[in-house]
Amino acid sequence: MSRSRPGAVRARIESLLRRFAGISGIDRVLIAFAALGLSVLVGFFIVLGSGRVAECSTAAWTMPITGLGFCYDPFEVFFVLFNGALGGPFYVWEPGILNPEWLPITLPWLGFMPGWSPFNNAFALTMSETTLLVFTGLSVAVAFRAGLFNIGTQGQLVVGALLTALVVVALAPLFPANRVGGVILIAIGVLAGAVGGGLWGAIPGALKAYADANEVITTIMLNFIAANVAYVLVLEVFRAEGSSVVATADVPEYAQIGPWLFPPTGDFAEAALLIGLVSLVGLYLFLEHTSLGYDLRVSGIQPLAAEYSGVNAKLTTVRAMTLSGALGGIGGSIWVLMSEGRWVESIPDLGFDGITVSILAGNNPLGVLPAAALFGVLKGGALQVGFQTDVPPELVGVLRGLIILFVAMPEFFRLIGKRLVPDEPEATRGGDGKDGDGVGGTAAVDDGGEASA
Amino acid sequence: MRNPLSAVEIPVVDRFLGDGYVRNVVVMTFGSLALLALFGALFPESVAGDLSGAVFTGGMVAATARISAPIVLAALGGIFAEKSGVINIGLEGLLIISAFTSIYVAYVLGDAGILTGGNAQFVGFFAGVLASVLLAFVFGVVCIEYKADQIIAGLAVWLIALGLAPFLSTVFFGSVNTPGVGNIGWQYSAALVAVGTVVAWWTLDHTAFGTHLKAAGENPRALDTVGVSVSKIRHAGVILSGVFAGAGGSLLALGVGRFGGSGETMVQGKGFIAIVVYLFGNYNPLGALGAGTLFASLDALQTRLQQLGYGIPSSLVETIPYVVVIIVLAFVGRTRIPSAAGDHYETEE
Repeated sequence: MSRSRPGAVRARIESLLRRFAGISGIDRVLIAFAALGLSVLVGFFIVLGSGRVAECSTAAWTMPITGLGFCYDPFEVFFVLFNGALGGPFYVWEPGILNPEWLPITLPWLGFMPGWSPFNNAFALTMSETTLLVFTGLSVAVAFRAGLFNIGTQGQLVVGALLTALVVVALAPLFPANRVGGVILIAIGVLAGAVGGGLWGAIPGALKAYADANEVITTIMLNFIAANVAYVLVLEVFRAEGSSVVATADVPEYAQIGPWLFPPTGDFAEAALLIGLVSLVGLYLFLEHTSLGYDLRVSGIQPLAAEYSGVNAKLTTVRAMTLSGALGGIGGSIWVLMSEGRWVESIPDLGFDGITVSILAGNNPLGVLPAAALFGVLKGGALQVGFQTDVPPELVGVLRGLIILFVAMPEFFRLIGKRLVPDEPEATRGGDGKDGDGVGGTAAVDDGGEASA
Repeated sequence: MRNPLSAVEIPVVDRFLGDGYVRNVVVMTFGSLALLALFGALFPESVAGDLSGAVFTGGMVAATARISAPIVLAALGGIFAEKSGVINIGLEGLLIISAFTSIYVAYVLGDAGILTGGNAQFVGFFAGVLASVLLAFVFGVVCIEYKADQIIAGLAVWLIALGLAPFLSTVFFGSVNTPGVGNIGWQYSAALVAVGTVVAWWTLDHTAFGTHLKAAGENPRALDTVGVSVSKIRHAGVILSGVFAGAGGSLLALGVGRFGGSGETMVQGKGFIAIVVYLFGNYNPLGALGAGTLFASLDALQTRLQQLGYGIPSSLVETIPYVVVIIVLAFVGRTRIPSAAGDHYETEE
């Protein structure tokens, strides 16, 4: 549609888009890393402080020079967090500071030392979380790019998951109980999840477009409604016979997405991550290289300009929310088909974590993968922190909040950067601007940050 | 609220409302209660009779007061922040942090034998408010001084509190749930809700500060021109949201007598409901009181119906307020966000 009206408006928007994409990208990555570093630093002091007030018989860590004893070892916590998420490739802290047989990575499957293999349960959990967060992160990101704040990914995921479980269980008898039948059922299940989540996402989209109802509020409400209605439906109608929890019947084994290399107990399937990566690249191409994706982005950055250039803003809103909901719904399908094998009431907060993933990724589909991996590591590592240390694993929740807080304040890092290294803006951009250009460049970054937020 | 005749007094109430939409919210709340009482009195054997029997009991009033305290007070706080131009989506986090702090302080004081019972709870209440104010202040600095995106920073406030409260509870007590400190009467909740609403309404509509606050959200440039610092007013708005939400969170936890930190903690989304409530009440404190009471009474009624043995699944009854909000947002009410809310303001010098 936007093609029908070429000219000044369009050229202006394109130059705007190019500027945002070009400059804020590197900036964003730097800010994400700075936020992560600062969160770990603040987390370090939180552990230190709480280790001082907690009660224990022997100090886990003694501060050099001062000789003060602490119940928690802040170095160990972060080491266990990141090492544990990978299943412990590094031997540090096991018996002593350094294991005599220490090697950074031992590779038993190549005939190296016995010990760590990448295909372990802890790393499987990290990867499983990463996979699910790729979907919910993409879901939030696509809505964000269209200028919509979809807090409802959680509800869309719940609906998509329920529909997947019901459809696959219902259709299972119609297909042969083998690999082929399984693949067909998985395809149908994922499609059902996408349709369920898409429809659930279309509701706030339509309400926003045609009744001007704030999508932040309606999606929060729809989350509560989805959780409660799904719970009642399963409790009253679809509950599996003899199940002690509120859950549907199990999806047949052959219709679940199983692992190739990882242990079956890890609830992670490489194929699911592959579907996630395909969705990720697909969404990136859709946003950057199709006219529909272009309309969607323009409506997000300059709604008025989009209207002038002939974009149907109302329809774009509904489309964006439907697409966002469908991605959340597929996340629900993958959760059912890969992790649980059925719909159960205790659904993790994957949709809410998707918001944090998308924010950290700067709402860019390509950024969603590393952001999802980071939060996957935090999730997988939290369990190990609980097992291996006395520090409450809830610490990871605090870290998550801090990361988002720091990502939200790029101005803070810019001020620090300016104070430390006055010429840093040029330096980080590979010297594409000479002296005197720095001020203009920084201003442009400011614009980018605000417009896309 | 027990008096069905309150519906008749609307002409008097109208003088304070002066807004047809808010009036509708208030009338809807109290009118439906009056209607229920009428039917219950006429047909005591029917469902309506059972319902009114359930609604108009002391237990129901107490439960409504307890549930409405965090919702209404957080909503009042949200009004102050948003009227000044800062959207505070982190009310949930403020409720969580104040709920935990109030119990922690009350417990520690009692445990050390410094203060006991009511006195410890009294100090705990103010400690909770202080914790909420501190977190709100950090949020304000991040948003106003460092120009953070308000929605994202608000989410961060929620996430930080959601992690921090169970974390600290585990550090101190070895469990995400704290031990009990004894609960306070529902009358405190009811009284503070009433006082808070009146104070908020008076401050917003009848003081110079209230005018400045609204100007900071509607037309910051005009306020700047008059020589009032926009960022100072906005800081005040955010800190006030911390005060009100902190009072709500402390009352919530002290009303139960302990802090529960599993899952979404004992706050369970009341901060988000509070946002809905003040939008529903169109940024009017009295409207927020009406909408908040409506939500709280539906919640309390749902619990009561379970006890009476009605076969409706509680989860389904719980959805009613949420569905109502969507319908109202879509078809009835058009709340207008302050025009400069969510924007940064640069002083021109």
